[in-house]
Amino acid sequence: MGTSPSQVRTAPCAADRRPAPRKGEEPLLSLRGVTLRYDNGVRALDGVDLDVFPAERLCVLGANGSGKSTLGSVLCGLLAPDEGEVTLLGERVLADGRVDFDAYRRARRGIGLVFQNPDDQIVTTVVEEDVAFGPENLGLDPEEIGRRVRREIRRVALDDYAKADPTLLSGGQKQRLAIAGALAMEPRAIVFDEPAALLDVRGRRSILEVMGELRESGIGMVHITHYMDEALSADRVVVLDHGRVRLEGTPEEVFAHADHIRDLGLEEPFPARLSGRLAELGVGVGWTCDPQELAASVAAVCAHAPAPGEKDAGPATAAGEGGRQAAPAEGLCPTPAPARGAGAEEPAVLVDHVSYGYADGIAGTPAGSALDDVSLEALRGESVAIVGQTGSGKSTLLRLVCALDTPDAGTIRVDGLDTADKRSRSLIHGRIGYVMQFPERQLFAETVAQDVAYGPTNLGLAAGEVSRRVAEALALVGLADKADDSPFELSGGQQRLCALAGILAMRPETIVLDEPSAGLDPRGRIELESILDDVHARGATVIRVTHSMEEAAEAERVVVLDRSRVLMRGTPAEVFSPENGRALAEAGLGLPLPLRWALLLGELGVDGLGRPLTTEALARAVARRAGAARTGSGAAKGGEA
Amino acid sequence: MALRITLGQYYPAQSPLHRMDPRAKLVCILVLVVTCFFINSPLQLAYGYAALVALVASSRVPLGKVLASTRALIATFAILSLFNLLVRPTGTPLAQLGPILITTDGAWAAVLYTLRLVIAVVACALLLLTTTPTSLTDALDSLLSPLARLGLPAHEIAMIFSLMLRFIPTLADEASAVIDAQTARGGAFGQGSPVHRVKAVGPVIVALLASSMRHANGLSRALGARCYEGAQTRSRWHPLAMRPSDWGFVALAAAYVAGLLLLGGV
Repeated sequence: MGTSPSQVRTAPCAADRRPAPRKGEEPLLSLRGVTLRYDNGVRALDGVDLDVFPAERLCVLGANGSGKSTLGSVLCGLLAPDEGEVTLLGERVLADGRVDFDAYRRARRGIGLVFQNPDDQIVTTVVEEDVAFGPENLGLDPEEIGRRVRREIRRVALDDYAKADPTLLSGGQKQRLAIAGALAMEPRAIVFDEPAALLDVRGRRSILEVMGELRESGIGMVHITHYMDEALSADRVVVLDHGRVRLEGTPEEVFAHADHIRDLGLEEPFPARLSGRLAELGVGVGWTCDPQELAASVAAVCAHAPAPGEKDAGPATAAGEGGRQAAPAEGLCPTPAPARGAGAEEPAVLVDHVSYGYADGIAGTPAGSALDDVSLEALRGESVAIVGQTGSGKSTLLRLVCALDTPDAGTIRVDGLDTADKRSRSLIHGRIGYVMQFPERQLFAETVAQDVAYGPTNLGLAAGEVSRRVAEALALVGLADKADDSPFELSGGQQRLCALAGILAMRPETIVLDEPSAGLDPRGRIELESILDDVHARGATVIRVTHSMEEAAEAERVVVLDRSRVLMRGTPAEVFSPENGRALAEAGLGLPLPLRWALLLGELGVDGLGRPLTTEALARAVARRAGAARTGSGAAKGGEA
Repeated sequence: MALRITLGQYYPAQSPLHRMDPRAKLVCILVLVVTCFFINSPLQLAYGYAALVALVASSRVPLGKVLASTRALIATFAILSLFNLLVRPTGTPLAQLGPILITTDGAWAAVLYTLRLVIAVVACALLLLTTTPTSLTDALDSLLSPLARLGLPAHEIAMIFSLMLRFIPTLADEASAVIDAQTARGGAFGQGSPVHRVKAVGPVIVALLASSMRHANGLSRALGARCYEGAQTRSRWHPLAMRPSDWGFVALAAAYVAGLLLLGGV
């Protein structure tokens, strides 16, 4: 527990990171031997010791069900454990098995909480009133409340929305509102429980920026997250597993336990994965999870080399070729009708000049266009990724493709069937499977098997065929042994898979997914990806909306939506080219991490890496370059590792 | 989800009606709503509409917004009122379609019922459009507080009411998401026999109940974290205070009711 591993490199910390020590300093929140049992006897927390200090961001990692959220509730004083000692802001709220409720009440006034779902944290229907809710509960006088409301709304950059209805804000804005509501109570510590899990790239970045500012102002923060890269910039990291603290230390110390991290259902952050893979490929780079250090050591290893010719770098990645094609057109395609060569087979999904608008009449919002002249197609058996920030029209597009509504203009054909034709709609529903955002929220039946059987039964299949398909779908997602359980008793990740099985049991030729991995832990994401790969390998067309550029880069075709229009369309290599970097950034997106790294290394003098879109391609390009460096400088043996 | 429930959505603006003390506004508008059922003559109807127009004008909410937020309800009431056409055998017959007899009394009742319900619906919509749920809650809280001495949980009732307003759009969005998901899985809504239709709604209700429970859990966590402990410890950002203009409005409302009764007596 929390011991430094032998292989830990005493990596120089990033300049702005303060050391973790703090002996003698008084912790804000302190747990000693804390154990908490659920009614069914399961230990959610098991002998946890933890301190949270002022002006630090402590990241809590762990798989689903590891006890992270319970820990969060204990730390912010909403849940009293069964055993142990809890001291919050100097109040001994739990000691010698006695709960001091008055002390709890006093402590809670100084501890904020921001959690995953912003909708549940907003209690009024006006932004500024919501910020005032906490201070009102503290019994502050009106002038003070007004002062705090104005200050916090400005801090989270919601000045323009002070009088707006929070339900009309984007996810990122809602979450910033929740943070403002917590800050207006002037807490000394805040618990963030997966605050960015449901947000897009831009929303997530804005939350991290606010956290950075808070650290400057001396607030102690507990940040529970599934994103390892967020943990990299933390001051300290603890890893929970089955209610126990398994690892504790600086990010470098914790992530150095690569195997242990993976066993606990987590993943290594990108720099750690890359440096690990480089070491395996024989590049003389030591393990590190510090991005700056890794970049510097790669640059050092590759130095003194003559820049390899284009043709050496070209084949390094499949991307090279595509990138060259994209360049003349600057990657921005207007929206011509999808090319349909004579004799080409009917695409699985064809979206042809589609527009769709929301009805007027929503108080406070103008009538808006959700889709504006959108065209795209998915060939049979193809995998297509749709990316775009919140509000770009992605979800609307999926609804139309699944024949749940009809476009105002243009046509959509699924297997040649027009979605506007009422008679073909039920046929389309049988051929296209729609996995909505958070599909587990739609579970309703008494048992998992009954829930999965809903679709096949509606298709009018015989009972025998239905149960065969249910069994097949449950086996595919790995829930065969849960068939008779209640879907509401499954874990979050399992619920998602159960909902997915409900779609797969209909054996759709095309499966449409809206951010299927949102909110899942790394293990859940990996599980889901392998199921989807399996489904795709069996010949299904897979269309998915995703916030992750790395996921999109794995698809065969990428469509970028921005403010209701198609901004770009093409293979991943065409869309994710350095030339398109600026346009993607303006659309609230970005380039996949491996490509960003290649560009960064290029600036440090490591040129000729091509345009890698995957970690593997990047690692191989670097290895080739380092190999060239060795031969070029005449040192030791040449050749590639 | 091209359609959204707009009832209860605040429209931010600066107007006399926005600024009014929410207690005075709530009481006056309730009086307006109740008394519209006293309207029986065309003259009273015209009088009631004059008051309604004045109210809309004083709210500075664009007429389009007012109508948009009431359209669905008004349409429903209009259709219900049509039944008056069919069930009034008195008066001069206007038309006979088989067993259905339409009379002047029936026609007048249908028109009257619809038009006075429009007054009630628009007045309620104005209350919600010009009052934030928070101040509405404060008003309810304050008006009910005498009953708290009798053991009625006045503040809690007001708080629940306000949270209900807050969550209507959220749950409406979720309902349409659930219906979408089940339609995509071949669920047939609004098709087939009545029994079949009722059966089809079951799964939607269960999924919605489950999601309401999730919201309730989240909400209780949020309320706890923000130190909500009921009325005792709470202060108000905008404490309620009746100003002369508020009393003036109450007097106007009283005058309106007196006028309405007088017209009825004529």
